[in-house]
Amino acid sequence: MENKMLIVENQMSELTKVADFLDNLGEEWGITAALVFSLNLVLEEALTNIVLYGFDDGNQHTIEIDFDKDGDELTITLIDDGVQYDPTLKADPDLTLSAEERPIGGLGIFLIKKIMDKVEYQHKENKNFLILTKNINP
Amino acid sequence: MNVQVTKSEDYTLVSVEGRVDTTNAGELEKTMVAVIDGGATKIILDCAGLNYISSSGLRVFLIVQKKMITLKGQFCLCNLQPGIKEIFDISGFSSIFSVFPDLEAAVTN
Repeated sequence: MENKMLIVENQMSELTKVADFLDNLGEEWGITAALVFSLNLVLEEALTNIVLYGFDDGNQHTIEIDFDKDGDELTITLIDDGVQYDPTLKADPDLTLSAEERPIGGLGIFLIKKIMDKVEYQHKENKNFLILTKNINP
Repeated sequence: MNVQVTKSEDYTLVSVEGRVDTTNAGELEKTMVAVIDGGATKIILDCAGLNYISSSGLRVFLIVQKKMITLKGQFCLCNLQPGIKEIFDISGFSSIFSVFPDLEAAVTN
């Protein structure tokens, strides 16, 4: 069992920090470049939601991202103290619609659900826990 | 991200390189809207150098596609890297965009 932690602030510019962190983690934990790409996407979507919609007080907040590797199973947990929000409840987009009918946006959480094997949400101690699991050696 | 616009007689080629994410998707949107407002009737987006895209980037692609359909123009994508192609497939975008394997195929379409 190995673990790493990354702390970011509620600013979009932190996404570069996440990308660099994942590149290093990929090398260290032997995660393929294709999967690093996918994990980067997943974290961007999750963080974007937290940064854009999680806080209404205009203050600086920190978001904790835990990475746990147990054999081939990678678990990423995002912890924030923003407004309570369970992304797993969001309805999936209708992929059968034409380009004219497709609404703009609404793909972020869907991408997370499709890429990860398991997406769970918990709210405890006034914090949001988004727990994402993926087999990194399928 | 690097975006380059090249106009030729039959089409406008937009080459995008690097990462399109939440931090810079707005920049790409501005460029694309300027190309459309400039009267382009066929836009080819060459994604050969595009190695990362998130939903913010997909959003811009869909905005362009909707505008071009309304204007009865053509919006073609080509040279998608495998990772980008996979995101297109997952999002259902492969069926609502004209995606070509290479620039030549997009030009002759």
